[in-house]
Amino acid sequence: MILRRLLSLYGLLFFVFVYAPILLVVIYSFNANTLNMMIWDGFTLDWYRQIFGLETSLAESATYVDSTDQLWGAVRTSLIVALSTSVFSTVFGTALALAVARYRFRLARFYRTLMMLPMIMPDIVLGIALLIFFITIGMNLSMLTIIVGQSTFLISYVFVTVSARLAEFDTSVEEASADLGATPAQTFRKVTLPGIAPGILGGWLLAFIISMDDLVITYFIAGTGNTTLPIHIWGLLRRGIKPEINAIATLMLLFTLLIAAIGLYFRSRRQK
Amino acid sequence: MSLARRKFLQLLGLLGAPTVFLLVFFFGPLLIMLVYSFLTPGLYGGVDWIFSHLNYGRILGWADTRYEKFDPVYIAIFLRSLRLAALTVLASLLVCYPAAFWISRMRPGLRDFAIFLVTLPFFVSLIVRLFAWVLILRPTGFLNQGLMGLGLTDAPIEFLYTDFAVILGMTYVFIPFMFLPLYGSIEKLDMAQIEASSDLGATRLQTFRKVILPATMPGIVGGSVITFIPALGNFIVPSVLGGAKVLMIGNLIEQQFLSARNWPFGSALAMLVMTAVLVLLIAQFRLAGREERS
Repeated sequence: MILRRLLSLYGLLFFVFVYAPILLVVIYSFNANTLNMMIWDGFTLDWYRQIFGLETSLAESATYVDSTDQLWGAVRTSLIVALSTSVFSTVFGTALALAVARYRFRLARFYRTLMMLPMIMPDIVLGIALLIFFITIGMNLSMLTIIVGQSTFLISYVFVTVSARLAEFDTSVEEASADLGATPAQTFRKVTLPGIAPGILGGWLLAFIISMDDLVITYFIAGTGNTTLPIHIWGLLRRGIKPEINAIATLMLLFTLLIAAIGLYFRSRRQK
Repeated sequence: MSLARRKFLQLLGLLGAPTVFLLVFFFGPLLIMLVYSFLTPGLYGGVDWIFSHLNYGRILGWADTRYEKFDPVYIAIFLRSLRLAALTVLASLLVCYPAAFWISRMRPGLRDFAIFLVTLPFFVSLIVRLFAWVLILRPTGFLNQGLMGLGLTDAPIEFLYTDFAVILGMTYVFIPFMFLPLYGSIEKLDMAQIEASSDLGATRLQTFRKVILPATMPGIVGGSVITFIPALGNFIVPSVLGGAKVLMIGNLIEQQFLSARNWPFGSALAMLVMTAVLVLLIAQFRLAGREERS
């Protein structure tokens, strides 16, 4: 009994450990203290107003954002990159998953193992390898190199997600469809695709979130003109801790939770 | 067209483009990095296409020319990275194992929600999560204010920029990596076996050592490997929480590319990390294979 109580206590502490730091960032994003952000000095929305370029009551010396334009430029770059990368990786990852799950060929096992490699490769290794590669073949660092570079490992994440769905999906339904006279193309469109759609959607969302958050690989292959949101915040952090980072972080948190909620919503709808 | 032939063409259609893409943009870069690690660095950055094994010699001990000298500091940094990664694995195990055990005993609905809560931070921006720890650990931060408020210390303790901060940060960031494999094997535990063990008079500790631990070993090994690998090559966590004081191999590699501009040497260091990772993966693969057979 005592052991059980201790275990529960430990479990609760575990969740405090996981969530307290994140909550702290959210709470202190409303702190009016401009000098020491860890000492509570009243509620304010000024840090948010500043991000959105609204008027604030902050003294000139307390405003740190060099330019709101830079921040929003970074958000724009991140969104474009994440959208392109996630769509591209979803197409390739799904194709590979379908091939490995639905066709018998000698290399199928080999492919399964191989697709683990990009996920497990330390990102600094992949980052510098891509940098050397792009420079050697004379490809200028641009948004395109970020998209290509991120896709190399995001394909694997989609592959794993879709494969999991394909493994659950009953092949007998596909066989029934074929028996009832559907062409393979019809079976694919009307039976297989709707069946694995949650897996594809899940893989796409996963790829999107990871792409939005990728710092290391993007850091090496972004070149100078393409600052993504994580790189922008990285830069802010390197120049010192400033209160508005709390507000930016909170907004990013909201955005991620929104996407995770959308993913869960679709999953629960599917299961009904 | 025969059925077999049509199937083959379909398969080719699905596999072809992604395979070529990965060959060119994943294996291509790794191959070029291998080549680079055997080239001579150019005088002003860049690279001369002349074979050289001295990049490895600088790390491992046989380089002795004017510009390319062996320096034991590189191997020391590599060893420190191994140590910090190992300690991170240990800390993650201590944090996650009891928690996974607790969650596995919850009722199903609550259990799924708890697992969701554990995985959710994985989707929260890495840099945001690390920033949170800077706020907590720095001299004017939350932890020091608390300690001073309680009168436990007079002057702020320097938590930030220590090995402790780096291990804490990596443990925190990699919780889902350790938790999920652990949970997978703890969930499969046979309660009847545990009860039988205590019925037969085993103490709790004996039951844990002889029954629970061996049964959950695959999860422990799996979680450890998958946590160790990203911890070893990490450079974001030591940059944010370790500052200039706690240098890991990842920081060293970054320096070679962005400030020292010695790409061949940086490639050699990266090859070292990659080799360590592959050795570990192969070892785990073999171990898992042997367990399956027995």
